[in-house]
Amino acid sequence: MNEEREPSHGDEPMTLPQGCTLSRRTFLSGVGATAGLLAAGVVPALVTALAQSAAGSEAGVAASNEAIEGIIEEDQALYYPDKPVYYADPAGKQKWAMVIDSKACVGCRRCVYACVKENNIGRDSGFTYIQVLEMESGRIELESAKLDYEEAGRPDRWYMPVQCMQCAEPPCVYGCPVKATWKEPDGIVVIDYNKCISCRNCMITCPYGARHFNWVRPEVPKEELNPDVPLEEKAFVVEKCTFCVHRTRHGKTTACVEACPVGARKFGDLNDPESEVSILLKTRRVWRLKEEYGTEPMIWYVG
Amino acid sequence: MAKLVSSPRPGVKRFIGVDFDFGALTNAGRQYWAFVTMLFIFAALGVTAWIIFLTQGPGVMAQRDDFTWGLWFSNYMYYVGLSAGGLVVYASVHLFGAEQFRPLSRLAVLQAGLLVMIALLGDITDLIRPWRTIWMLITPNLTSPFVYTGSAAAAYMVLCFFDLWVLITGKGGHKLAMRMTLIALPFAIYLHTTTAFVLALNKSRELWNTAVMVPIFLTSATASGVALLLICAYIMQHFGVFKFKRSMFRSLSTLLATVIILDLFLLVVEIITVYWPMSAKPGHTDRMSLFFTGPYAWMFLPVFVLGIGAFALLAGRKTRHLPKIQIAASIMYVVAIFFKRYTLMSMGFAIGPLGQYQPPYLPSLIEILFALGLLAIALIFMTIAAKILPLRVPEEELNGAHGPSPGETAPDSALEAG
Repeated sequence: MNEEREPSHGDEPMTLPQGCTLSRRTFLSGVGATAGLLAAGVVPALVTALAQSAAGSEAGVAASNEAIEGIIEEDQALYYPDKPVYYADPAGKQKWAMVIDSKACVGCRRCVYACVKENNIGRDSGFTYIQVLEMESGRIELESAKLDYEEAGRPDRWYMPVQCMQCAEPPCVYGCPVKATWKEPDGIVVIDYNKCISCRNCMITCPYGARHFNWVRPEVPKEELNPDVPLEEKAFVVEKCTFCVHRTRHGKTTACVEACPVGARKFGDLNDPESEVSILLKTRRVWRLKEEYGTEPMIWYVG
Repeated sequence: MAKLVSSPRPGVKRFIGVDFDFGALTNAGRQYWAFVTMLFIFAALGVTAWIIFLTQGPGVMAQRDDFTWGLWFSNYMYYVGLSAGGLVVYASVHLFGAEQFRPLSRLAVLQAGLLVMIALLGDITDLIRPWRTIWMLITPNLTSPFVYTGSAAAAYMVLCFFDLWVLITGKGGHKLAMRMTLIALPFAIYLHTTTAFVLALNKSRELWNTAVMVPIFLTSATASGVALLLICAYIMQHFGVFKFKRSMFRSLSTLLATVIILDLFLLVVEIITVYWPMSAKPGHTDRMSLFFTGPYAWMFLPVFVLGIGAFALLAGRKTRHLPKIQIAASIMYVVAIFFKRYTLMSMGFAIGPLGQYQPPYLPSLIEILFALGLLAIALIFMTIAAKILPLRVPEEELNGAHGPSPGETAPDSALEAG
């Protein structure tokens, strides 16, 4: 994580990923439509070139965090029982956030697989924390999005990974009848698996379909078990993305960020004015899913 | 206030001021016991289903990640709603002087209490670790509508049974009965409002997130509750437990027709808002269309067919006084509201928050056995109570005059059919 937060290429953070995108896309596409893919790759490359012209001002931006102070201010602990959830270390001073480059994402679902492995998601539980939507061109309309697409990297589609947004105003936390889920001081929404009464109201309240219920006992092959993440207690309760709380509070980045072959995901601390996410928020035209709902998600999209 | 004067017959046991006529059970007919046995079989099947659920986990239910709630929840709304009708009828006796409903008061309150009881029991059958609900008392979250509807239902159940006790024993006289009504009616409204809020207070579910959900819940509840009370009263009368005046049934069915049309009106208003070009949003129309022409139509269209049909039957000048017409209309509406609850629940899931279509949910055998078992438990209580509890309101209480003391004409025929 420390390397991630270094402002090593802070003046134009998305350039490298885009470069990767082109080659990876060509690499991934495998069969057919190579020409189309290349054509699609040219567009983001052009946009990046345009963005570079604005990059000169970014060095100044990195010094001050004034522009996003309002956002950090909103992202407070909520129903926090004054001690961290039992499977995590105490939160630090950070305010975690993620930026996803929808222009770079090729929909390969590697983040999904990495996440399943990292978080001990039951292999037969029938859900994943991350859901990648294949979006139709020309619209951000979920009703026409496809979740079970078979061919990734289509040039006439774009891809939007959705997971727990770690909202600053989380409807799930407001909706839990027993305060079994809360928002920790660093903004991560966690669930106490030993307290959840399995009423599933949080799944109803979540506008992002980010919460999932273990209808069966989660089963993970022994050799793939991650000892840092609970497994047994997750039987018959709700679970969801925790921004890899067991990794990120130890200075590592999330599993999905690590797995992304095109660098479409950036994770970091908003309190650090020089972190990639801070700089992206200050310099790029970002948007959030269902912004009009007022949930104040901590995952932004760019591109 | 006069108490029920029971004859000094053997088998009558007095407990907490109520005369339990256990003797009536001994002269009950064979049909009666056959019916009770059948109910016990269903209850036992329900308990078996519960044990299977507890040992094997929630995977035995047909609910799934994208269809988060199922029959237990639509039944919760349904039963909580049905119990309202009883309270409305009972309250109108005291609040509006609707004396024609007085003979119904004890039956109405008993019905309300039993229905809320199975509504709450149904919730528990959905929880794989029911003991964890203790957290609702230790760390209740006041921003969750669940806390309000759950506590309201529990308190309402206690209120109903206490009310029944007050009505039967006459303790506290007219004054206490009146005060109980003043508490019970707003409480019934509170319960149904908070139940509607469980759906309506979710911006994540487009079709639920409408304020009209609350009045729809209130009218649906009243209509179905009154209809069920009418059916119940006819059954009880058929078996000689009660003797009601025809004018009472006429008043009841007039009330029913009024609430039915209000209920349908609110639904139509909501649908117009969803589809009118200036207010139509794809998130709403896409979902609603599934319920008119899509795979969900089978549960929504009956609400209109049965609802309009029931209203038409009750509105016809020539036929509306006929018992058969009243019973038919009542059954139609009780069934219609079941479909309506099922539809309302499904509206939150037909298309998930990420815009993905979900095929309709049908309960698994385990869930159906749960539901039937709970229904059987309520019917067992009702059937037994019809025999041993002094549900009939004494004549002197009805007329204020000295009538012959009733109670000894124990019905011989058995109760049949629910």
